[in-house]
Amino acid sequence: MARNAELVGLAALATLGAVAAACRSTTTRPSARSNNARAVDSASALLAFSALADSSVEHYRGSFHNKTMYAPLAVSALTLAASLRDLFRPRGHDLGGSVVENLALTTGIIGTGFHIYNVAKRPGGVSWLNLLYAAPLGAPAALSLAGLLRKVTRGLREGRQIGGVRPSKLLAGLVSAGLIGTSAEAGLLHFRGAYHNPAMVIPITVPPIAAALLAYAILTPKQPHPVTRWSLRLLAGVGLLGSGFHAYGISRNMGGWRNWSQNLLNGPPLPAPPAFTALAMAGLVAVRLIERSDA
Amino acid sequence: MLDDPQTIPRGKNGRAPDVFRIGGWVPMREYADSDAVDFAIVGTGAGGGTLAARLAEAGFSVVAFDAGAWWRPLEDFASDETHQRKLFWTEERICDGADPLMLGTNNSGRSVGGSTVHFAMVSLRFRPEWFKARTCLGYGADWPVDWRTMWHYYGEVEQALKISGPMRYPWGPKRPRYPYRAHELNAAATILAKGAEAMGIAWAPTPLATVSAPRGSSPPCVYRGFCVSGCSTNAKQSALITWIPRAVKAGAEIRDLAMVGRIETDPTHGLVTGLHYCRQDRWRFQKAKNVVVAGYAIETPRLLLNSTGPHCPHGLGNSSGLVGKNLMVQLNQAVYGTIDEEVRWYKGPPSLAITEHWNYIDRGKDFFGGYCYMSQGPLPVVWSGAIAGARKLWGEPLRREMEKYNHQVGLKMVGESLPDEHNRVSLADEKDRFGLPIARVTFSYSDNDKKMIIHALRFMRQSLEATGVGDIWQQTDDTCHLNGTARMGSDPRDSVVNADCRSWDIRNLWICDGSVFPTVGGVNPSLTIQAIACRTADRISALAARGEL
Amino acid sequence: MSDRYPGYDVLNKRRTPSWNEQTRRVIDRRLAMPRDPHFFEAAEWLTLEAVCARIMPQPRTRPPVPLAAMIDVKLHERQGDGYRDHRLPEMGEAWRRGLRALEAEARQRYGVAFPALSTDEQDGLLRAAQDGALKHAAWQEMECSLFFAKRLLPDITAAYYGHPTAWSEIGFGGPASPRGYVRMGFDRSDPWEATEVKPGREAEATRSNARVG
Repeated sequence: MARNAELVGLAALATLGAVAAACRSTTTRPSARSNNARAVDSASALLAFSALADSSVEHYRGSFHNKTMYAPLAVSALTLAASLRDLFRPRGHDLGGSVVENLALTTGIIGTGFHIYNVAKRPGGVSWLNLLYAAPLGAPAALSLAGLLRKVTRGLREGRQIGGVRPSKLLAGLVSAGLIGTSAEAGLLHFRGAYHNPAMVIPITVPPIAAALLAYAILTPKQPHPVTRWSLRLLAGVGLLGSGFHAYGISRNMGGWRNWSQNLLNGPPLPAPPAFTALAMAGLVAVRLIERSDA
Repeated sequence: MLDDPQTIPRGKNGRAPDVFRIGGWVPMREYADSDAVDFAIVGTGAGGGTLAARLAEAGFSVVAFDAGAWWRPLEDFASDETHQRKLFWTEERICDGADPLMLGTNNSGRSVGGSTVHFAMVSLRFRPEWFKARTCLGYGADWPVDWRTMWHYYGEVEQALKISGPMRYPWGPKRPRYPYRAHELNAAATILAKGAEAMGIAWAPTPLATVSAPRGSSPPCVYRGFCVSGCSTNAKQSALITWIPRAVKAGAEIRDLAMVGRIETDPTHGLVTGLHYCRQDRWRFQKAKNVVVAGYAIETPRLLLNSTGPHCPHGLGNSSGLVGKNLMVQLNQAVYGTIDEEVRWYKGPPSLAITEHWNYIDRGKDFFGGYCYMSQGPLPVVWSGAIAGARKLWGEPLRREMEKYNHQVGLKMVGESLPDEHNRVSLADEKDRFGLPIARVTFSYSDNDKKMIIHALRFMRQSLEATGVGDIWQQTDDTCHLNGTARMGSDPRDSVVNADCRSWDIRNLWICDGSVFPTVGGVNPSLTIQAIACRTADRISALAARGEL
Repeated sequence: MSDRYPGYDVLNKRRTPSWNEQTRRVIDRRLAMPRDPHFFEAAEWLTLEAVCARIMPQPRTRPPVPLAAMIDVKLHERQGDGYRDHRLPEMGEAWRRGLRALEAEARQRYGVAFPALSTDEQDGLLRAAQDGALKHAAWQEMECSLFFAKRLLPDITAAYYGHPTAWSEIGFGGPASPRGYVRMGFDRSDPWEATEVKPGREAEATRSNARVG
């Protein structure tokens, strides 16, 4: 079944990403900078994958009623392909210059605009009901984040600042902000689910804590931040755990997996939680860089 | 089907059906007929089921009887309107008066869980002033309970059923947040919302007793739309899956397929001693220290009127003469129309959006009382009956009309009718298969009803017109719900029970269902009935503690 | 009027998550209903069939609905409504009397049995019944317009629209458990719902409906 293959692929990517993030530069591998860049590539690939899977399912649920709803599928697929390519090519050659990352960034911003319109045009406008059930405001940002992560990898590979900011701090700032936004989105949707399961508080506790620690790390470079690292590793696990919980959630909806044609669309989104894993992977790179005050 | 729940009782041999597990059972305590249980309750719906749970949890011994079957929704319920008529009271009643009522789907259930098994899950609170309708608003009668007390119990019931409702409710005093989030609107509900905005009035997603997220063994609603034909997924928080399992867990016994025919009293002290019930073709007598009648507004007075004795020749607890009188329905007129877009109103609960505007506004009305209205989603059999009945169509014209099914929208009111002693339940000469006289239900619209209907139809029509709906027509003859036939009050001369639902005449006779409403309000009664039951249970505990039981 | 939902058949979803076991049992029983009378006598049955054919003519492009049989079963098994208007006799008696009275009216007016009349003549008599204009002694105290409004019309329409053929005809989603619906907005439907014909695009709807199930 297509969904099983996706889950396997997801797990593979996550494992790969985790491995890449954890590996150190003491081997005969190329420079540490390149390693860090590839770790962030894994993160942006995972984030783009999550955006691709999520937007595919949700826009399918929206019947692609507006033809622009195909755009995030194409752009996230492109971003995914570009990041994978950068990950697997030994020299990490940058594909397409800044085209892909700007496309991802812009699509996410435009998507956010569409989603705000989708909420505001319904009766009641920007109301609780519409925030819970209309297009999720924070979702397109995942694509923009993936694009911004690609900017960081370029900065890392080319050993230069991005927009006047060191890649390490930019990366940490992006991850921190991204975690807050993703956490808020998850929190809102879990609120829709009335927090019926105690585990649903995890995405509104662990990520904000990790984000806060990361922000603190930005302000205190050249020091070890073991707690921050561990919180990010925990967060990486939380992302995978989330998909497991979501799979459980689908199985306990009426009809379970047999009713997949409804429950994959109505049930908790399987590809959403790994966004936390992706951000955690990128965050670990940022911490490593900040600790050594590299880049 | 190995066992037919309509002929073979399921609540026996020390176990009860576990409605959450296919083929599953839970242990159930059983009492002997000769055990004088603390409370024998007739009926297990919004009144009786709730009371059975709360009394059992308070430590009383409880046996609750229901004439209906103990369904297992996951296995017994089909997605078919005709088959699911098994949820309704299908034994004969005679309807007369100037405007004979239609019973069945809109107001008469027969199941363990009562009408909550087939209700549309609309869970609304009374406007506070309605509890003092005569004093504050100049019509009807005052309730002998304070609105704040009732609002406290509304909160308890909303938590018990995990009502899915909006974050902000536009009308009335501030209420605690609904435990679960409101459901999303379907297209039919969006028409109500747009119309309300166009008319400059507030609207809200309807607070519903079906969950929008998992709750225990209940999955979230799958929006299948067969709600009033019985929920086969257990998303609907009927008494069958909430209060009844609580009751059984707390030690109550529920006897399904048990028709109570008569309540017995001892002539020497005038107290009730128990009740006669027929189960599996055998009449038996259950001793009880207290009897609670909770058969809803037709069966409750019927049972009381059938339980005459030398000291109560006009029916049990009927010194006021009011048993069976003041039958109130709610006005259920509607406007319907067609739009170009596809609506497919069969998806989701039938009433996903509501406005209570005319419940809380008193000016601009030439009638007493209030009404709300909600969006609609009738399934084909009900819908064809509505068109055939209201538009008098048949043949090819009916077929052409029905082919527009996926483009229909509608607004249907729930309007307050006033208490009138001429509207009543009495006994007919005809007897049912148990040999018991059947009920005669007499009803006529009043002038107040007619004025409210005109007002509501005009307003709802304007609302539809404002959203560009075409081919608008109205359904002028429909009612829903039943209340008032054993009303509560503070004076035994003009009420049947007191504020504690206790009979003025017989201290161990109680009535705990929609019959006790002195006024019916402009909202569906189920939440209020359950709130009354919770309060009654607390009052009973308090009285027992003081030795006043 | 051509088919609005060409090729759509709720029965195609019988083995999908839209139908549960109890639904299959119930609908199978309805589809396998015997077509001969158990409650009505032969002459009443023929009149009933003729009446049903006028009140709800059979669809042109879909399997027929055994209306007379469904009503016969309802009366034979005493599947009551749970109430009756005091001016009407009990359900079965009301139907018998009504059919016999229609028969009597036909013979009185045209000299032949109701089934032998032309469709216009039958429609005329039915409309007269609906309007309360029939006064033959065979009606006894049962007002013909009341019989028409409270028994004849609702029972026949309920039988028709309680049958899968009608559900497919009007594009109703049909049975829905455990699978309900995802898309509830305007002009949105799930792949297991009916596709309505758009002007000039009949083939598209037929193709889409063929995929349902």
